[in-house]
Amino acid sequence: MRLFTRYNRILIIISFFGMMIIGFLFYRMLVYYLDMQIDHDLVEEIMEVKEYSDKSTFYEPHEFEDLIVQYKKISKANPSSSYADTVFYNPVKHRTETARYLKTELELVGQPYQILVIASKFERQEQIRNICLIILIPVMILFAVVLMVNRILLKKIWKPFEQLLQNITAFNINHERPYEPVDMPVAEFKQLNQVLVELSGKVKSDYDEIKLFTENASHEMMTPLAVINSKLDNMLQSNVLGKEDGETLVELYKATSRLTKLNQSLLLLVKIDNNLLHDEQKVNIKALIEEKAVYFQELIGGRNLTVDLELADISISASLQLLEMLINNLFSNVIRHNYDGGKIEIRLDAEKIVFSNTGHNHALDPEKIFDRFYKDSASEGTGLGLSILKQICNRQHYLLAYSYNHDLHTFTITFNN
Amino acid sequence: MKILIIEDEPVLRHSIAQYLTTEGNVCSLASTYAESLERLNLYEYDCILLDLTLPDGEGLQLLNYLKRMNRAEGVIIISARNSIDQKIEGLSLGADDYLIKPFHLSELNARILAVMRRKSAQGDRHIEFNEIRIDIDAKEVTINGLGVYMTKKEFDLLLYFIANKGKVISKSAAVEHIWGDDSDMANSFDFIYTHIKNIRKKLTDAGSRDYFQSVYGVGYKFTST
Repeated sequence: MRLFTRYNRILIIISFFGMMIIGFLFYRMLVYYLDMQIDHDLVEEIMEVKEYSDKSTFYEPHEFEDLIVQYKKISKANPSSSYADTVFYNPVKHRTETARYLKTELELVGQPYQILVIASKFERQEQIRNICLIILIPVMILFAVVLMVNRILLKKIWKPFEQLLQNITAFNINHERPYEPVDMPVAEFKQLNQVLVELSGKVKSDYDEIKLFTENASHEMMTPLAVINSKLDNMLQSNVLGKEDGETLVELYKATSRLTKLNQSLLLLVKIDNNLLHDEQKVNIKALIEEKAVYFQELIGGRNLTVDLELADISISASLQLLEMLINNLFSNVIRHNYDGGKIEIRLDAEKIVFSNTGHNHALDPEKIFDRFYKDSASEGTGLGLSILKQICNRQHYLLAYSYNHDLHTFTITFNN
Repeated sequence: MKILIIEDEPVLRHSIAQYLTTEGNVCSLASTYAESLERLNLYEYDCILLDLTLPDGEGLQLLNYLKRMNRAEGVIIISARNSIDQKIEGLSLGADDYLIKPFHLSELNARILAVMRRKSAQGDRHIEFNEIRIDIDAKEVTINGLGVYMTKKEFDLLLYFIANKGKVISKSAAVEHIWGDDSDMANSFDFIYTHIKNIRKKLTDAGSRDYFQSVYGVGYKFTST
């Protein structure tokens, strides 16, 4: 639920119940006071009755149409009086109305009488209704205005916050996009912004440091590797090596070469990450794939792999170096993880490149295969090939996806994602 | 051929010298910028191997110096830094080639010879080895005048072996020479075997002697002995 909605919902619920309670109390008070007033009038009427009644006539309230006085002879007057609500037939208006009466017993001209004074509450009730309406309507309007102002104000106040959210989402460590600070008028947001600026700066600098470290470490390893390689090359020239030494040398060469390759791949990852390859140009992918198919033909032919090409004549604007690496990587992948006599399918159209291959493995975990150093133990690769692929796609804003169907491992690269 | 090796890592420096000091090559060694400058002031060389990161200065400065003095030496940069920008800078300052560490000595040797060929050859550039004649520009191999068809990779491999004649070239080095960055491909070692087998067959079919020798299963040697 949005903060807006939540806030408004709570506000409306509280206001509604609050107004109900206040309204009820207000109404009760009003009724109480009006009743008091009527009661007061009733007492005054009784006094009039006492004062103006003589032997011949009893007092009749002529001037009030909402008031009647009834006399009833009784045997003995109890000096008590009681007030209550009632309903009576108004003879003047010819209708039944709610009313209030005062019942009392008095001695009038020596005779005990029960006197009932009934006053209509109709006028008063009208008054109450009007008073309530007069108060309720402005309050409702005020309430609506407050809600609206709230809405507008909140939207305005939260606008920088939404901008901030957008900027955080846009912040990408790989793409060298720094977090863009937002101008925040609200103190709390300002603080949040400040914290984010610092945090993103720290993350960025830590990340850069790690990259630099990787780069330096890999570079530093190149010279010792060169030493090993050169020593091996010289050792090989010796005329006194036996068969066993030969086998050792083969293993040493392989290990050195693997270490070298690993180092180069790490450096390559850093390089792609640092966006050092920016030779944007029009590249004919069809030609590139065909060229690479020829380049890898011995490796393909040697394993009796069938290659099925279906390429549209597509050119896209991209870094040639990155694209070459991409295609190389895809080829390496479909050849390496294939079995002898397997199949390779390559499709190219305006939207995507698709490389599929048969393989020993069943479906791989699409969540994990692009992770660095994720590989099956049988693989002689560095475990970085697919990460490099992923990195290149990130850099070029392509979408890289893996799927497995019909016994084919399929890598799909969608352009202009 | 006189070669100056400028490299601050002593083991590598001596390894390179050891490999190259045959067939009448003479190697001079320098480990610092100052030492190199001193050598270059005193002597002339055919080829200079230049490490870019020296303890007392940038190798690129030496290139500047050579350019300023109009020196004719061929220069091959050997660097651990695989950066396009540095490569371009080095080549534009007059270096003839750029080799990234780690490299195989056979590769270095082949590059040196290629640079020397480019520097010296006027017009007709070819290599002869007994009855084998290789036209480098036309990429043609002839045995006693008889043309032998070779694929690009076979041609490159033959040239590589002839450049390192008398030396054992490991399969690993041969694979890297042919496949470069993709040399870690599965079974690529087997393909070197296939390639060599094909080259041997093509050469002997055309009447050449078989100069390839397999060595301990590690590699091959191209030799007339």
